[in-house]
Parts: sequence; C-alpha cells; structure tokens
Amino acid sequence: MKYFLRRIGYFLLTLWAAITLNFLIPRLQPGDPAELMIRQISGRDTEIDPARIEAMRVMLGQPDGNLFEQYLAYLGQLARGDFGYSYTYFPATVTDVIGRALLWTLVLVGVTLVLSFVLGTVLGAFAAWWRNSPFDSIVTLGSTFVGTLQSFWVALLLLFVFGYVLGWFPTAGGYEASMPGLNLEFLLDAVRHSVLPAAVLMLLGPVGWVLGMRNTMILNLGEDYIRLARAKGVPDKQIALRYAARNALLPSVTGLAMALGGILGGQILIETTFDYPGLGRLMQQAASGKDYPLLQALLLFTIVGTLVANLVADMLYGVLDPRARKAA
Amino acid sequence: MKRRTLLATGPLAAALVAGTAACSGQIRTNQGGGAATSGDGTTIPQLTFPAEVAENVAGITNFNPFSPNVTSKNYFYEPIMIRSSMNCEVVPWIATAFAWKDDTTLVFTIRDGVTWSDGKPLTPEDVAFTLNLRKQYPAADDIGLWNDVFGAPAESVEADGQDVVISFSGLAAAKFDSLITAKVLPQHVWKDAGDPTQYIDEKPVGSGPFDLGSYNGRRLQLTRREDYWQADKVKVQELILEGNYDATNAALKLTAGDLDAFWGEIPNPEQAFASKDEKLNHFWYAPAGSTVLTYNLTKAPFDDAKLREAISQGLDKDEISAKATYSVMKPASQTGLKLPYAENLLPDSYTDQETVLPFDTAKAEELLDAAGYAKGSDGFRTLPDGSAFAPTFLVQAGWIDYQAAADVVVRNLQTMGINASVQTSPPEAVDQAKKDADFDMCLEYLHGGCEVARNLGSKLASDQVPTKDTVKANVGRWEDAHTDEIVAELSGETDPEKQKALTGELVEIMMTQYPVTCLFYAPARMIYRTDKAEGWPSEEDPYGTNSEMLMIITRLVPPSAS
Repeated sequence: MKYFLRRIGYFLLTLWAAITLNFLIPRLQPGDPAELMIRQISGRDTEIDPARIEAMRVMLGQPDGNLFEQYLAYLGQLARGDFGYSYTYFPATVTDVIGRALLWTLVLVGVTLVLSFVLGTVLGAFAAWWRNSPFDSIVTLGSTFVGTLQSFWVALLLLFVFGYVLGWFPTAGGYEASMPGLNLEFLLDAVRHSVLPAAVLMLLGPVGWVLGMRNTMILNLGEDYIRLARAKGVPDKQIALRYAARNALLPSVTGLAMALGGILGGQILIETTFDYPGLGRLMQQAASGKDYPLLQALLLFTIVGTLVANLVADMLYGVLDPRARKAA
Repeated sequence: MKRRTLLATGPLAAALVAGTAACSGQIRTNQGGGAATSGDGTTIPQLTFPAEVAENVAGITNFNPFSPNVTSKNYFYEPIMIRSSMNCEVVPWIATAFAWKDDTTLVFTIRDGVTWSDGKPLTPEDVAFTLNLRKQYPAADDIGLWNDVFGAPAESVEADGQDVVISFSGLAAAKFDSLITAKVLPQHVWKDAGDPTQYIDEKPVGSGPFDLGSYNGRRLQLTRREDYWQADKVKVQELILEGNYDATNAALKLTAGDLDAFWGEIPNPEQAFASKDEKLNHFWYAPAGSTVLTYNLTKAPFDDAKLREAISQGLDKDEISAKATYSVMKPASQTGLKLPYAENLLPDSYTDQETVLPFDTAKAEELLDAAGYAKGSDGFRTLPDGSAFAPTFLVQAGWIDYQAAADVVVRNLQTMGINASVQTSPPEAVDQAKKDADFDMCLEYLHGGCEVARNLGSKLASDQVPTKDTVKANVGRWEDAHTDEIVAELSGETDPEKQKALTGELVEIMMTQYPVTCLFYAPARMIYRTDKAEGWPSEEDPYGTNSEMLMIITRLVPPSAS
C-alpha cells in the first residue's frame, strides 16, 4: 500500500512542477504574437501596417496583472478546463483545435505503436530462443542497423521513392477530396494517406522492443530456475512461454505504457514531413507561430500523458512483479 | 556463419543505394494530362490554386475576414475599390467613384445592381455599416479608420442616397489606400453577429464572384456565381484552393500540371520551372518594393552623409541581385520608388536621369579619402579621429537571399577598405535589435506602394521610429524636422500635382543624403501555366500582382486556339 501511495505522491509533485514551468517558459521568450501573426499573414516583403498590428493586439487581448496574478488565473483556467483561444485559429478555442487533430494522431501513432510492440517482442523472443542462429543474426543486425537511421531521413526517402517517383501513394495530407465523417470514401482516403507515415513508424518502431526483449530473455534463460525446469522435464514450449518470455515481458510492458503516454505529443518530424494533420504537426505550427495558448496546451497534454503513463507503469509493475512490492 | 551473413548484406546494401540513385532522375510528370478542355472554348472549367489559408492543420472553416486564418480572403467579400499595386490606378469595384469634397470629407459613390449571394441587394447602408462596425469594435479596425494612424481619425460615416460620406476630424488623405481595402459585409447578416472578430463565419454571404461549393478541411471548392455583378467577366467555372507548398513541392506540382499558379518563393524559377516547357510555363516577379541597406543613423559614423554616399557608390548592385535573386530582380532606383512602373510619381527634374547608382569603387574610395576615412597601417580604413572602424552587417539566418546579399555587400565594403563582417542571427533576434537600435547595418524592406507618404515617407518620418515593443518603418532612425514637415504635408495632400512636388522633395533627400541605400527590387511573384487560362499579369501587361487576385480572376480567359 505504501508503495502505491508514494508513487501517487511523486506524481502530483511532478505534475505541479510541470504545470508551473509550462506557464513560465513561453513567457520568457521575446517576440510579440500579434506582430508575428501579421508578419506571417502578410508575408516577408510587404508593408507593415501598424493599424493592423494594433487591431490584432486588441483582438488577442493583453494579459493584465503581474506574473503571479497571471499564474493564479492560469491555474484557475486549467481547473475549469479552459485553455483559452488559439492565436492562429482565432476565434476557435484551443480545445476545439486540439480535438480535431487528436484522432489522427491517436489512430496513426497508437495503432503503429501497439503493432510495433507485438512485432518487436515476438521477433525478440524467437531471436532469443534460437540464439546465434541465422534468424537471430539477421534480426539483431537488422535492428541495430535500422536503429541508427533517423526518422525524418527514412520518411523523406519513402516519400521520394513511393510518392514522387513511383506515384503509388499521396505525398501530403491526411485526406484529399473526400468529406470527413464516417463514410467509406473518407476512410479509404485516410488509410491511403496514412500508409507512408505508418510504414515509417512500423519500420523504426520495433527496434527497441526487439533488442530489449531478446536481451532480457537471454538473461532469463540463463537463470537457475529455467535449468531446474528443464531438468524436471518441462516441455520446451512451456519453458519458453510461461516462464522465460513472461518474465522477460515485464520491462517491455512498462516501456509500452510510457511510450503510449508519449503519443499525445505526436511524432512531430514524421507528421511534418507528410503534412499529416495530427498533434505533432499542430505543435510544429504552434511553435513556429508563437501560438502560446495552443503550444502550452499541447505541451501540457504531453507532460500529463507521460506522467500518467509513468504512474500506470509503476502501478503495473507493482501488480505484476511481487518483488517490487516487497522492496517498497 | 558470421562471414556468410556479412557477405549477404553487402550486395543488398549496394543494390539499395544503386536503385535509389537510378530513380532520382525520373520524377513522374503528367504534362497536359490534367487539361480538361471545355467544348465551346469560352469558359475555363477549373483552376487549381494553393490554399489562401496558411497551414490549416485543424481544418477549421471560417470565412470571417477579420480572422488571422481566413479560409478564403479574396473571393467572397469584396473591397470598396482596388488600387493596382503596379500602375497605381484606382479600379472601381463596389464603389464606382470617389471624390474629396473638401480636405476632410471623402465621398464614395456605390455601384448599383450588386447582389449578395443570398439574393438581397448591396446598398450604401451595407458599406456604411461595414465602416461603422470598426468604430464600435476597435479590434476590427484593421484599416486604422477611427484612430490617428497616418492621419486624423474619422468622425462619422453615413449613407446618403447612392453615396457614402466619410467625415474626418482633420487631414487624412494617407488613409485612403488602407480604407478602400475594407471588405464590404452584409448588414442583414452581421448586425446580429456581435463582436465581428469573434464571429465564426461558416456560410459566407458575400458579393464576390464565387459561391462556396464544398470544403472538407483541406480542399476548398468554389463555384461561379451567375448573379455576380460582373459575371460576364468571370470565365472560371470552378476554383479549387488546396495545399500549402514549399518551393520544391510547388515546382513539382506546377510542372505536373496539378497546380495552375503559385505566388510563394521558388528560387531560380527559370531553371526550376519555366525551362521545363517554354510555351506553357511562365513567371513574372513584379517589383513590389525595394530591399534597402539601412544604416543605424544614431551610431557614429553612420550619421555622416559622406560615408553613406561613398558606400552607396561602391556597392555592386548587379552582383547583389545576381546572388540574391538569380538576376530575376533588377537593381533598385535610389529614389525609393519602383521604376519604371511608378514613373508618374516621379517629378520632372528626375525623369531623364538614371537614378540607379552605378558601381564605381574608385569614386567610392575617393569620397572616403576626402571625408577623412584614411587607410591605417593594416590596410583598413579608420574613423576621422583615428579609431578603428569594424562595422557588422546584421542579417536574418535562414533568409537565404538576404544572406547572399549581405555576403556581397561585405565583400564590396572590404574592397573599399572597410573592415566589415556579417553577423547572422535568428529573425526574432534581428527584430529585437531593430527595436533596441542595437545594430550597425541591416537589410530592410521599403514598400513601393502608391501612397508615398506611407511608404517612402514613413521610412523617413520621426514618428515611425521603432519603439521598445513595435518594429516600425523608420528602422534607421532618420530624424529631420524638414522631412517630417514634407511627410506631414504629403499625408494630407489630395491634389496629384502637389503630391508630385512633395514626392520630389523626398526623392531629393534620398538622392543627396542617402538615409538608406536601395539595393534591388523585392518581388511580388506570379508563377503560372497558360494551358488552362491566359490573361495573367506579365511584364508586357503589368496590370496587377498577387495582391489583387480578385481583379486577376476577372481578367483570365481561356487560352486562344493558336
């Protein structure tokens, strides 16, 4: 019980620190959002009209009160779930904007993450069971090589070859001519546009799981209790599944929980390369446009997501592994 | 076993690399594949332009012209009148004519027979409502009508028969160019909208040439309106606005025929696009203004006009525009006006002169010697009092044309014996330096618009010096009482002849005192194909730029049979 209470305590403390830093850091940056926005709308080499900048400032509203008062107001707004208006999509609210991009990222990154996990752990388990075989060599060497590749480089390569040269897949966007909604045309359109980003994620995703699973399992296979089981005549399949793989899975499961928490940040580089309308793309747009309300909300979601996932992983470990509970 | 796998992966890797290298030359194009021709040749069935909204990741629909992210800003609501940025002609649009009844009263005569897309007629009351809305909600006053930016605030706006009468509390001629860009809104829809800046306009009722066909968050499809007031001039049946492209993507889409026009940056457009098909692929980079070398006049020795004159003579503008714009843009006139298009603004004393400064290093060195900037023992010039002179040129990182220009300028300065160097910083830091006057030299943009008081004038007016919070036009901080008098008079002057005389005085200051040095013209780009439509603005027919897309749509015609 103490184990769980302590974990929850750490969680709340870290959450408070994250919220405060999230409030402070954007405000320390120079740059005036109103001016930046007019520059972005007008373009680089155009007349700067001071009247437009002034009108934009009035529209966005200048925060009043000193920094501490703004902080308290910010905490109050968070408690009510009011994240304010987005600067770039004014007058749409931040919740509205994020809501539209959320599903795209959840589906793309969520599905590929789970699939990568399954693929990775299965490959890793087989590689460990048949260690030093040709299968093991290919899997290990292959994963190590793929693991050194940069995600945006792979994304650009796939985009160039399959999008521009061969023309098999669309080169940008989440959908094209269909109307969003629960209709077949749109779903097919969305799937077509998701193939390349998903391919990149599926190519690079399993690497960590493969190597992690393989190494943990080899470690487990060398343990005394496995040797005892073999001596007792337990069939190979049971040793592999019920004992070695199950115990080796523990670190990977907690790793999965943390990776799931990171979904809310999206995959910024991949989404930007493919112009995919997810949270990562939204974050890139908010960061370059100094859209503070939107940026803060996105960062907050990422932080909260990671913290909650961390907490869940900790709890899960406590449930799955009796040794952790004893130690606490 | 290890050796075998190594031998296997080697050829595999080689094959992968070879395969990609072989593919790199063959980008799929479908020239002419997309050209849907109509039967009778009198209409343009479809045109595809890039999206007007910059980066609509969230797919939000909002046609409200006050929103920073308007889904379409050109084709639904129309401005009062259109001033062509090229020849400065005022084209009648919603208003057929304008007149200054006296120095402080402006009268617009509103066109008869214009209907909104819901069938109701557009009346002068709608125009008066649109302008009065900005009084009620200052956040909507993007044209500066009710405040004292560039002139006295308005006192009242009233509809009077077929006219709209605007009374100002003082001289306000310089507000005209902004004023006419106000998009006329239908009173019967917007009077219940409350604060117009907070209103989400999803089903726009506009007077423009197109109706909303469909919008799925990325692709906007517009269909031609039969009851548009000049529908006979609009030949485009369907307009698709889709996608935000960078230079590479845009060039690829244009070449493939998936895009019909583009107005963003494509470096070296001749090689990237036009050369692929000499007959169909065209581009025209009209001069929109000048890129100027700005000196920090509050810092010695840049307050010495002789130094500035010497530097201006010693800059190789042809080389600068070759490196920065691949010679697409020409060296700029030192008058600050964009010539030859703005010739009618130039006073007679200058019309025969060559106002682009020649490149003459010898003369520059002569002037520097005469002004007291002697060469020291290390070969570099010192200030007249003997102290070292090592100015820095502040340039924005990532703006490759500015960086290229800065390199050439610094090289030219070093040839003259001035120990200059380039200092690269992120654009926000450069903006901050301009606000704090913390720079020696930098590049700035001088707008070549038709209201000389707002463009050349504000570059030299002391009330346009940047403050701690805002970057304004007079970054160099030219503060001169005589100049301020001229600009103030020009802001209130409505008589073209008197305007010309006052412009002449500003030109005189530019040509003799060099507050800034004009380098090359900055472009308003138009990159287009002529397989589906002709009549685009070009060097032969410079009637407008990408700031007047609405006007361009009414000039596009199907390609002639030849």
